Amino acid sequence: MQGSLIDTLARQGVTRRAFLKYCATLASMMALPPAAGRAMAEAMAAAKRPSVIWLPFQECTGCTESITRSHSPTLEGMIFDMISLDYQETLMAAAGHQAEEALRHAMKENAGKYLLIVDGSIPLGQDGAYSCIGGRSNVDLLKEAAQGAAAVIAVGTCASFGGIPKANPNPTGAVSVSDLVQDKPVVNIPGCPPIPVVMTGVLAHYLTFGSLPELDDKKRPKSFFGETIHDRCYRRPFYDQGKFARTFDDEGARQGWCLFELGCKGPVTHNACATVKWNGGTSWPVESGHGCLGCSEPDFWDGGGFYKALSVPADPLKFVAASSVVGAGVGAAVGFANRASKNAARSAHETTTLADLEK
Amino acid sequence: MARDSIPLHVVPPGEPGLSGNAPPLLRELLERVRRLLDDGESSAIDLSALPLTPADLAWLRDKLGTGEIAVTLHAHGESTLNETGCPGIWWVTHRNEQGAVMSQFIEAAFVPELVKAHPRDVLTGQEYLESMISGC
Repeated sequence: MQGSLIDTLARQGVTRRAFLKYCATLASMMALPPAAGRAMAEAMAAAKRPSVIWLPFQECTGCTESITRSHSPTLEGMIFDMISLDYQETLMAAAGHQAEEALRHAMKENAGKYLLIVDGSIPLGQDGAYSCIGGRSNVDLLKEAAQGAAAVIAVGTCASFGGIPKANPNPTGAVSVSDLVQDKPVVNIPGCPPIPVVMTGVLAHYLTFGSLPELDDKKRPKSFFGETIHDRCYRRPFYDQGKFARTFDDEGARQGWCLFELGCKGPVTHNACATVKWNGGTSWPVESGHGCLGCSEPDFWDGGGFYKALSVPADPLKFVAASSVVGAGVGAAVGFANRASKNAARSAHETTTLADLEK
Repeated sequence: MARDSIPLHVVPPGEPGLSGNAPPLLRELLERVRRLLDDGESSAIDLSALPLTPADLAWLRDKLGTGEIAVTLHAHGESTLNETGCPGIWWVTHRNEQGAVMSQFIEAAFVPELVKAHPRDVLTGQEYLESMISGC
């Protein structure tokens, strides 16, 4: 389909005002001044659709599910119409050689200009043989596709930080996109899965301003990952008052008190769940009574137990230590540190608690 | 299963919940109304970007009061653009299809931008009228 975005949207029954309203909200979520909503709407309405290539590596398709199944009819989904998605194995009709031909064609036609979206980590073990597409290893495909890309967007925790495939003992030697791509701008949109509006927000920013949004030290957009879950949690007042749920069915849990002692990783997790919420703003983990798992932080899977409170005085090794160490080569060290902390926790515990089940 | 059938009742913290962040907004609005009158410059305050509690918002709404005009926009969920008791100050709330508030603004404008019809859309209307007349 050709033409500007507003025409495409109009064909789908999205009016200009509906689009303006969406842009106002998007600008608000991205912490841009209110006037930016209008600028965004004008720029995006007129924007020609850039080519986007989406490569899936060691992943579970949860990230694709997140964006395609955001509440319907979905403006997030419609925003996907503002890009020309030239290759996406799960969504495209073509298969086999035809699909690979589409990829080659898109890369050649839009060399230097296309956006590359990657979900899933990249295995380096056994020369990358653990995950191949069309007989070629993921690492090979990524290097080739990244070469002609304007920027690379790592969607999900696996692509951003290695995620679950990289979890101790990392059998496939999985690494993140930014471990391999160093000469192109990389944006990480972690989360397991990531919040749909964060993905569209980054795309909208690129289309509006022709640049990527401001990033934090882990290459995450500051507007969505600038604050912790804890900072914006509606249960925060209970934390400040020292009111904690101690089990999942005690009085505190029923009263909706803070889930810190039940292992909530909110204080060390940067993400927008507390403000944007999930399923069309219906709810989010803490609102449904479960602590945050910290899924948008590096090595969240090896954080020492989802139900273990963050700072237990007897345990000097905290999740923070694991999450603040980033970069290639430290994975093993973190793994050992976690093992040490687990052993310490195991010997410190006398009774069997929920936390033990996590070991 | 409906959420109501789960015996989990979240009790909001006991305080009336006024954070003290709302009163300074009145001064901010005064400044914006001044700019609107002097230069015709309209502007908006993004309420979701500010640390305001539900009680703060209720306080603000109460202080600003209700004006003569209330606009309802039906576009992917309902939006309301209501004039407050201070002409030129509008309380704008955008909701999604589920009725959840997506964003909230206070706008200082003679007419909120969203209410005005875009020339391109007016053109479409003109073409429609012409086609009706030629069809008669």
